[in-house]
Amino acid sequence: MVANETGAKNGKDVTLIIDGIKTQAKEGTFILEVARQIGIQIPTLCYNKALSPFGACRICCVDITDARGRNRIVTSCNYPAEEGLIVETKSEKVLKIRRKLLEFLLARTPKVARIRNLARIYGVENTGLWVENEDEDCILCGLCVRVCNELIGVSAINFAKRGVKREITTPYNEFSDDCMGCGACAMICPTGSKRVRTHTYSTLKPLTGPKDEDLGVCLDVFSAKSSIEGQDGGVATALLISGLQNGLFDTAIVVQRTEGYQAEAVAAENVDEIMKAKGTKYLRVKMVPKIKELINAGKTKIAVVGPPCQARAARKIEQALKEDFPNLEITIIGLFCFESFDYNKLKAETDRLIGVDLDKAGKTQIRKGKFSLKIDGNEYSCRVKDLKNAIEKGCPYCSDFPALYADVSVGAVGSAEGFSTVIVRTERGKKLLENVSLTKGDFNKDEVVKLCTLKRDRAKTNFAPLVEGIHMARLQEKAV
Amino acid sequence: MLSEKTYKIDEIIDKYVGKEGALIQLLLEIQRSLNWIPREAVQKISEKLKIPVSEIHRVASFYTAMSLVPRGKHLVRVCTGTACYVRGASRILDAAEQTLGIKAGETSEDLKFTLEKVNCLGCCALGPVAEINGKYHGLLTRKKLEDILNRKRDESP
Repeated sequence: MVANETGAKNGKDVTLIIDGIKTQAKEGTFILEVARQIGIQIPTLCYNKALSPFGACRICCVDITDARGRNRIVTSCNYPAEEGLIVETKSEKVLKIRRKLLEFLLARTPKVARIRNLARIYGVENTGLWVENEDEDCILCGLCVRVCNELIGVSAINFAKRGVKREITTPYNEFSDDCMGCGACAMICPTGSKRVRTHTYSTLKPLTGPKDEDLGVCLDVFSAKSSIEGQDGGVATALLISGLQNGLFDTAIVVQRTEGYQAEAVAAENVDEIMKAKGTKYLRVKMVPKIKELINAGKTKIAVVGPPCQARAARKIEQALKEDFPNLEITIIGLFCFESFDYNKLKAETDRLIGVDLDKAGKTQIRKGKFSLKIDGNEYSCRVKDLKNAIEKGCPYCSDFPALYADVSVGAVGSAEGFSTVIVRTERGKKLLENVSLTKGDFNKDEVVKLCTLKRDRAKTNFAPLVEGIHMARLQEKAV
Repeated sequence: MLSEKTYKIDEIIDKYVGKEGALIQLLLEIQRSLNWIPREAVQKISEKLKIPVSEIHRVASFYTAMSLVPRGKHLVRVCTGTACYVRGASRILDAAEQTLGIKAGETSEDLKFTLEKVNCLGCCALGPVAEINGKYHGLLTRKKLEDILNRKRDESP
């Protein structure tokens, strides 16, 4: 479903009366929007202009009388304007219903400040109803579900079960395989519910240590290459081999190509298996299923190599399981990432733009705005900009370029050809580097900062309509 | 056994590839065929029909006709609706729980029985009622139900 901003059809103008004010609107525009335009504020908890309306919280209810004189109560967030409609947003009947609804909401989430405040505005201080769970903080408004599905395109969380047991959760109430930790659900949640924070990857405890404004927590940063011929300086591969040989971890989750350019996460336990996985694949490969599988199998020392989204997931899992698995150590090697691609779309685009078969590609690389691939010794390339149709869902909403939650981050940006930039973030990362012999090169911080800024700004721009919607809802409440 | 199950799942899903709005029918068919909806099936549906896993999970967890955990061979549903309740449904449920050694909503470890509590089976005059494998048993007593369940347990598999 595509978000329909206001419901307006390309149809004719209609005239309607809201609280006695005669106004014109495009037929089909939702009443809530029409009211907003003429300065009448209707409170709502589940509406955001950037998403399709849902009518879940019912707080925006209004009293309508249509052209044929039929009178009823509807939710204004999803009721389209029609000719001759008379709308009352503050009549005693409406206020009475709103107060009752707020009593219900108070009984559902008695401790949530926003609900308490809104209730107080309507003179509802206490609920006379049975409180099932004092700590409940979710009103099932579905904003998180809609934002994840419609805007981000990832659909990591959804409703589950029905009736009194209905809840917001990730599938099977487990760590999500699909979440990329963009934070939209937590940002949009009207009550700050823990339900969108439990098994998703947007709310992490920050790493501690000296912090660089752009690079994140950073104990050391330099440019280097190893003796292994890998993606750039072969540093990630060298770190994995060293960590494995020195017992820092006994299994490493890496991405291996399967058929053609397709790839999957595999658990590598020896040098051969790691060597098979070297070289970057610019796809978003889900690492979480593999992490869960290894933890369930009793592994406690695991390494993960992946882009920022997978690094966030791995870190969140480590933080969240700390109590149940105190020995769990996930060593995270993060890879700089501006965006990743969808395999099928990337295949179609490389065919269209360069006329080559992606599946036949040996090494692929993104450098200086160019995506290049080698086939039988020949190099083909196109501008990364032109591949925008192949970008994986959600990537434009991610603001993390240098893998802020990794133990060590590695990437080409900021280094000369054949070298990798290395950011050491944690003590664990430092230890991992101890036994690796690297040749240092020149590090150009400005290049890294440039991409960090670009990625942050892109996310900010993409999030803007959503943020505006959140802001509007808050304003409306204050103005009621 | 496992590969046979996988084959069955693939076969069912393939019939629905390219059809819009067929998710519920597809899930019901898998439920009928395997008596539950395994994760493997959910994963495969997501891949083949391009539907997010969370969406399939939402639908499958909504309907009581679908189960995301394995269900027993015999489905025992004890009515605890108002009419049955006043006629002693709680004692009937007790008897079922004791005989089968599981609580309502659970499945026995040997996958023979699943016990469920339902709200009304629509034949209140026969209360207390239980539905066992689609067949209604009315005017139940503890003894009557215990006999039926023991008979089912002893049936050759």
